Amino acid sequence: MTVKRPMLNPLTRKQWQRFKSIRRGYWSAIALGVALLLSAGAELLVHSRALVVSYQGEWHFPTYGDYIPGTAFGLGYEYETDYRELKRNFAASSAGDWVLMPPVPFDAFENDLKSGVYPPYAPSLADRHYLGTDSTGRDVVARLIYGFRLAFAFAAILLACNFVIGIAVGCAMGFWGGAFDLLFQRVIEILNNVPFLYVIMIVASVVVPGFWTLMGVMVFFGWTAMTWYMRTSTYKEKSREYVLAARALGASSRRMVASHIVPNTISVIVTFIPFSIASGITALTAIDYLGFGLPPPTPSWGELLSQGTRHLESPWIVGSVVVAMVLVLLMVTYVGEAVREAFDPKQFTYYE
Amino acid sequence: MTRMARVARVAHKGAVLMGLLALAGCEGEVADVEAPAALEEAVTVLPPIQVAEGDGLPDTLPADLVWETNDEDPAFASPDAKRGGTLRSSMLSFPLTIRRIGPDSNGSFAGPLRYNQLSPVIFHPNTRRAIPVLATHWAFGPDGRSIYYRLNPDARWSDGTPVTAADFTFAVRFMRSKEIVAPWYNNYYTERIRDAKRYDDLTIGIQGADPKPKGEMHYEYAFGPVPRHFHEPRLTQDWVQATNWEIEPNTGPYQISKIDKGKTIEMTRKADWWANDERYMQYRFNPDKIRYRVIRDINVAYQHFMNGELDTFGLVLPLYWHEKATGAEYDDGYIGKYWFYNDLPVPSAGMYLNTADPLLSNARVRFGLAHAMDFDRVIETVLRGDYDRMPTFQLGFGEYDNRSIRVREFDIDQANAYFDEAGFAERDGEGIRVKDGQRLSLRVTYGAPHHTERLVILQEEARKAGVNLELQLLDSSSAFKTMQEKKHQIAWMTWNSQGLSPRYWEHFHSVNANKVQTNNLANHANPEMDELIMTFRASSDPDERVRLAHRLEQMVHDSGVVIPTFQVPFTREGAWRWMKLPEGLGTRTSGSLFNPHRLSAGIFSSGGLFWIDEEEKERTLAAMDAGTAFEPITVVNTDYRAAD
Repeated sequence: MTVKRPMLNPLTRKQWQRFKSIRRGYWSAIALGVALLLSAGAELLVHSRALVVSYQGEWHFPTYGDYIPGTAFGLGYEYETDYRELKRNFAASSAGDWVLMPPVPFDAFENDLKSGVYPPYAPSLADRHYLGTDSTGRDVVARLIYGFRLAFAFAAILLACNFVIGIAVGCAMGFWGGAFDLLFQRVIEILNNVPFLYVIMIVASVVVPGFWTLMGVMVFFGWTAMTWYMRTSTYKEKSREYVLAARALGASSRRMVASHIVPNTISVIVTFIPFSIASGITALTAIDYLGFGLPPPTPSWGELLSQGTRHLESPWIVGSVVVAMVLVLLMVTYVGEAVREAFDPKQFTYYE
Repeated sequence: MTRMARVARVAHKGAVLMGLLALAGCEGEVADVEAPAALEEAVTVLPPIQVAEGDGLPDTLPADLVWETNDEDPAFASPDAKRGGTLRSSMLSFPLTIRRIGPDSNGSFAGPLRYNQLSPVIFHPNTRRAIPVLATHWAFGPDGRSIYYRLNPDARWSDGTPVTAADFTFAVRFMRSKEIVAPWYNNYYTERIRDAKRYDDLTIGIQGADPKPKGEMHYEYAFGPVPRHFHEPRLTQDWVQATNWEIEPNTGPYQISKIDKGKTIEMTRKADWWANDERYMQYRFNPDKIRYRVIRDINVAYQHFMNGELDTFGLVLPLYWHEKATGAEYDDGYIGKYWFYNDLPVPSAGMYLNTADPLLSNARVRFGLAHAMDFDRVIETVLRGDYDRMPTFQLGFGEYDNRSIRVREFDIDQANAYFDEAGFAERDGEGIRVKDGQRLSLRVTYGAPHHTERLVILQEEARKAGVNLELQLLDSSSAFKTMQEKKHQIAWMTWNSQGLSPRYWEHFHSVNANKVQTNNLANHANPEMDELIMTFRASSDPDERVRLAHRLEQMVHDSGVVIPTFQVPFTREGAWRWMKLPEGLGTRTSGSLFNPHRLSAGIFSSGGLFWIDEEEKERTLAAMDAGTAFEPITVVNTDYRAAD
């Protein structure tokens, strides 16, 4: 005879209900989710490679995988096929071949330059540069979307690393206390007082900072933030009866922390996630803006922002990136706000 | 590689280090406890000029010297020039001092100060031959590294004191003294200037470190006098502070007449300047006054110019020339636009390929790479068609230039052929060539963030030939450090260029190859070339030198270790209608058209040729009030543009 367990425990379900009831947070979460999904498959929407090419009765799907040289489609060059040109060629001939391009037929790297006119080019439906181009003729939509994907991935990985280290160290500090606690308090204080931006600048002046270098530096200084909260929560939880009970039953330290304390501090952890994502995105954008971030030509919001401020006479660059950034950060913050309220223990308990 | 950078560069050799000195200066200072009496004694007595073993000029003037002068080259100023008026100019910040040497002296105002401290000779801006300034005659010593000058007896400091040979020997002692807190000068006047001797009041000798061709010695070893009567009493531990705002006597046409700290500096033309009637000085330096006003922002300065509060404005940047410098004032002919191609030593902008790298040691790869770089596309797009392709490593040295060399043009087929020959015949999934598992991917190290937009275009086009450029943007000093340590694959950088003839030893001689802290960025080593370089350095026969320079430049091209990039062979300026220029706008070597000085520092005497036409000014202002228009003025002079 088995007891049928509900999918979610009642508390979680209640929290979910509460989250859903906060409309702007809920809709922001959906919008962000959709944006993330779309950007994950950005190659299908925004790319210079065609979705489908039908050539001499054969179908090709160039989007993912190796490049297809121009010679494969009867063009006279060995480098990657220019699918926009191919489309024009096919349209001009009447052999029945055709090309299906993504809605925005540009990738984030190529310079779509015209002779006689100088970039940045203004937004144009005819050219399919819906938000114009930057100062080297690269499509702003493409740079925005690929930049978003990268920034979000960066923020998410950063968050995971920071939380794993921060929670582990914070719990250990709270649980063990004593000398271990004192030692790490000092270590964290020291790390907190190192000016993080200078470290990035120094690193960037010596090596080209790649995705993982930047991640390393930011994790090195970033994990400390979570420790204080986890330490306090652990101290608090440690003295609760259920922990004492577990201890009395002979549970190991690890079991006590992992199975009893951490699950009970989950509201602290969850509440911080959206705000950490937001700060991860802004941090990467800021260092890219200052020129110490990802190496060119990586698509990045910070780089776009700095170009935009240099080319204020081409407002579509700075306009696009500022609007995109405000929207994303606003949505992340709304989500965070809703999560915090949903997890707020005051809704469910009261102290006597 | 902007024009401004070039102007600043020529302003003074080596003074870049100046900023570091301020700190060093304070340490040695000893508190002076005893008061007035001690002050007299505190005046430094400079030691006589120390001469190292093996150096030294003869005690008496050699009898067999051949004295030369130059009074046959054409004068280049316009006899139509009118004296008078005030040139209204601007500077971005107020100078921290009006000393021309020592801590903080290398700021924006160093130019006007140093240009008015003349040297014995300068170079003719068209013929590039030496012409007299403070000296009337010169002669070269038999050791190949000494030069003698006979001074112009009319030469006067601005306070009326005659310029004598003692001011030159004092200059060496002064520049070697610790009190001026200028290590670069201390070192230069010890290491490069080995001896200076006064033979009589108007005759001096100078000895340099190494033998040089005759003409070059004026540039390498000659230095200007320092007013002994002014500095000797002031040369104490406090010299730096004491002379911050003291107006030093000078020998040039202008002297500071008014300082309004933080706001303006005014310089006034000496009415009875001693050189007024000299052959190469006539009809020049025409404005009576030059007023430098602090305007802290370049865009604000441009607005002042448009309001008629500044007389001229530099328009070299494409954004200014093409976009900002348009509108009614230009269309109605109130402001003229001048685009002047000059023929000056061009900074050697290029991609320097490190041959110590296994990939780049293969000449086929280097040639292929050169053919894969689409510089024309960069010029046509982000550079707005204004820049030119640099054809050779060094350029702008007159007849030394090898104009027969043709750059390796962007040509995918040729690039493909070279890469195939080099064994990079396969392509990987991204279309990058590979050979035995090694990708044809090369790192470009550079230090100028605004060059990124040029490089990304090259990068995209190069992929077509199957070569990947990995861009490594470092801050400028670490980029240079990386290159000096030879840790680069491709160094994207620009060497400053000055002097009378090109230089190859630093960049291509094998003694500088595979060693850190040398300028041979390609780690180029070729015994045949070494020999030619040494002959070139030792030769003082102009024809032979020209022949060798052509040969060497050809060898540089044939080796493919340098891919020359861009040049900006012009200046562009805007000026109100009343600013008049001589016919043809400028001289062959005019780096700027409205520089009121440019007589001494920098090597070609091309400044001060314009004048202010007060009547035209009244007419223009009246026309502006009345709303009447003139014919627009846009003058483009391509006389000195290199033939393509």
